[in-house]
Amino acid sequence: MNDDLYKEIILDHYKFPNNHGKVDGGVEADEVNMMCGDKLKISAKIVDGIIVEAKFTGGGCAISMAAVDMLLDFVIGKKMSEVKKMSGAEIEKMLGVELTSSRKKCAYLGLEVLKKLN
Amino acid sequence: MDSAATSLKPEIVLEKMNEYYSQYSANIHRGLYPLSEKATEEYEVAREKIKEFIGAESTQEIIFTSGTTDSINRVAIGWGNEHVSEGDEVVVTEMEHHSNFVPWQQLALRKGAKFKALKVGKDFRIELNSIEETISSKTKILAISLVSNVLGVINPVKEISARAKAINPEILIVVDAAQAVAHMPLNVSGLGVDVVAFSGHKMYGPTGVGVLYVKQKILAELSPSSFGGGMIKEVSLEKSTWADSPEKYEAGTPMVAEAIGLGAAVDFISQIGFEEIERQEKELSEYALKKLKELNWVKIFGPEEMTDRVGVITLMTKSSPHDIADILGRRHQVCVRGGHHCTMPLHHKFEVESGTTRISLSVYNTFEDIDKLIEGLKEAEEILENISHERRSI
Repeated sequence: MNDDLYKEIILDHYKFPNNHGKVDGGVEADEVNMMCGDKLKISAKIVDGIIVEAKFTGGGCAISMAAVDMLLDFVIGKKMSEVKKMSGAEIEKMLGVELTSSRKKCAYLGLEVLKKLN
Repeated sequence: MDSAATSLKPEIVLEKMNEYYSQYSANIHRGLYPLSEKATEEYEVAREKIKEFIGAESTQEIIFTSGTTDSINRVAIGWGNEHVSEGDEVVVTEMEHHSNFVPWQQLALRKGAKFKALKVGKDFRIELNSIEETISSKTKILAISLVSNVLGVINPVKEISARAKAINPEILIVVDAAQAVAHMPLNVSGLGVDVVAFSGHKMYGPTGVGVLYVKQKILAELSPSSFGGGMIKEVSLEKSTWADSPEKYEAGTPMVAEAIGLGAAVDFISQIGFEEIERQEKELSEYALKKLKELNWVKIFGPEEMTDRVGVITLMTKSSPHDIADILGRRHQVCVRGGHHCTMPLHHKFEVESGTTRISLSVYNTFEDIDKLIEGLKEAEEILENISHERRSI
């Protein structure tokens, strides 16, 4: 059993996120993981297919919140088309932990919402 | 500490089931050889045990199903479809588990009936003065849990049933007793209700078996919802006729081993006795509540005293129940539940959409378990450091 799910880097992103907030005039998408109550809204400015700015608001477990914050760190400056090809496995690599199937849903929430953006 | 989700199984249950599978694994009600007779006998003995256990009058009233959800759905279909029409009303309560909420909601939608709910008050109990406001002569069904799987409250079902029947004597009272049967004695004949549903696996029995109790006079109004072998009297090309209850409602080969296991679970409970079960669980729960109230970052979602209440203790916290349950499970081997516990309407009502953490105690829990829980909760809080979620509002 992986004991260090709540390692420093995850808690850091959970407690002190870099990308919390709202992008004014940006496109928005949101999703709710009703099974556990994780809620997420991402707003972003996309120029010529590149994510120039992105922020999130919402609430939920440490994994979902840390994952979305780390994901947004990663995708700023990248093309939306690249993001749409990203998979859950890459999220897990980013978090640096092995996830059980129930926590995968939390971790993938941010990517799910990001992919909904136009 | 998750017996509200499913309970652990005592050896006598496992042994009894294994005995069926290894020594007399025959089909029932059909064979004439000794092994089959034995299997039939044990299956029917289990049914008789259930009848005694819940205070029913006849074994015709005891139908084996696959669980509480299955039981309730069969009534929604087998009784509801024929007795609820457009303009009628179907009433539940705001605290119902989805299994005693969604089947009725869907029935109401199918039939163009109104779907309503008795309100839960700030004291976490059903607002009894809303009964006469919510139920009318058009209300065909009232579905209510005997014990809430989140709030732990024991509902005054006898009183509610009497008041509902005073408004409409023909109302069908359906009781979800899934959370009650392992923790308090049940006397269905004395409750004044028509239907009771519960599961085997929450009362120290196996998964895959449950009970649907239907009062004798309602049986005549209940259509089978599943057809096939075992439930027929005669079958021809033109038509089929049905066997009597309970066979009428048990199509196909039943969950023989599981029903026999459930009979052994009844023995297990009877051996301890409800007086002892209630005493132990009350003492344990009072200790748990006392310890939990000392944690100032935790709020009890339900009454804080053990009056008309079982040992289902649910917590509201700023940290996510997901994280709490994960940390408790991985680092402290303490099993609790995080989420909505299949009660989204209840969580929405009390504005805890982010979910709650549920501890459910039973006769096999100990004071040491509670101490470990508290230790684990303190560590979870330390790790997650009680973040204010004001800046996270969506």
